[in-house]
Order: sequence, then C-alpha cells, then structure tokens
Amino acid sequence: MKNKKSNLDERQEQELLKIEHNGCWLAFWGLLIAMAVQMVIYGYDVNGMKAMIGEWVVFMILTLYIAIGCLKHNIWDRRFAADTKTNVITSILAGLGMGILNIVSMVREYPDAIVRSIATGVFMGVFTFILCLICMEITAGKYRKDKKKLEEALDAEEDDEE
Amino acid sequence: MKNLKIKAARAGLDLSQAELAEKVGVSRQTINAIEKGDYNPTINLCISICKVLNKSLDELFWTEEE
Repeated sequence: MKNKKSNLDERQEQELLKIEHNGCWLAFWGLLIAMAVQMVIYGYDVNGMKAMIGEWVVFMILTLYIAIGCLKHNIWDRRFAADTKTNVITSILAGLGMGILNIVSMVREYPDAIVRSIATGVFMGVFTFILCLICMEITAGKYRKDKKKLEEALDAEEDDEE
Repeated sequence: MKNLKIKAARAGLDLSQAELAEKVGVSRQTINAIEKGDYNPTINLCISICKVLNKSLDELFWTEEE
C-alpha cells in the first residue's frame, strides 16, 4: 500500500535521484540511437517512418520536459555557457550528425545515386544546423534575459531590506 | 523558515548576497533561497558559508525548538 510518508531516508532519496537521472539519460540516448538506426535501415520509406513515430513522440516529450523545466528554473547546463560559440559548435555537431545519417541512409536506398545522396545529406545537415542554431539562440536569449530579471529582482529585494 | 542569522552575519561583514555566493562557489539565487528558507543546503555548503562568515554551524544553522 502507498504511504504518504516516504519510505526513503535522505541518503536513499539521493541514490534514487541519481538512478532516475541515469535512467533518464539512458532513455534519451537510447531513443536517439534507436531512431538513428531505424533511419539508416528504413531510409525515407513511409512504413519505416510510421514505425518510428512512437519513439519520436516519447523522445520529443522527454526533450521538451527537460528543456522547459530547465528554462523555468533558469538553469542552462553544468559545463557549457549560454553563448553563441557553444550554440554554433552544438549546432554544427547536430548538423554533421544529421547530414551523415542522411547520406548513409540515402546511399543504402539509392546505391547508384551517390551525388544525389550527398546533396540531400548536405541540405539536411545545413537545415538541421540552421534550425538548431535558431532554437538554441532563442532559448539562450530567454535564459540570459530571465537571469538578468532575477538578478534585478534580487538587487531590489536587497535594497529594500537595507 | 527564514534564516535571518546568515543575513545578519553577512551584513556584519558588509557582504552582499552576490559576494557571499562568489566566495562559497554557488549562485546568488542559491544564497537568496537559503536565506528565505526555500532551500536546505548540504552540510558541505553550510560549512563553506560558516567559514566565510567566521561563524560556527550552531551560530548560523541551529534553531531552538519552540
């Protein structure tokens, strides 16, 4: 039966949070790899894409939950700064990943059309880069704006108390 | 429950929240949340705060039962 009071003590609670944290990232990367593999296997086949919908929906819900939660609590990242340099590097990596994935997928599907496959891959890579950069710039901008607002509110609070 | 003792000790040394935060290596929001009683710091953070403010754990974090 469910207890209102937690069965866990402080240490166990920390351990559980760590396990849940690892589980969350395992699900994130597992879903991403599963979708990448399916993309390479099925390519642009409609049935293949339909088979991927479940993973895609779960992945998007997970991603949006993390992104919105972090923005709401004004948290960016443990190590990376919310600046354009980070956004550009991250977007390049995403674009490269998407481009290579598309080239491999297209070459598998159309082995005779190498140039067309590379062109599609480059287009998808550039498109992903631009889209990723726009999203990251918007969210980083919101993070910086919220942080500034928070700092101003704390300044005002400290001034009032003095 | 608000932690007015930290605020008083901080004011005694003429330190702002931002300055204390920088000295103990946390964000200013975290110091604010501790003072407002919205966040329970770990023992390591408590010790760091005590060291910077030259106070003991008892002086800053002990609360008498009412």
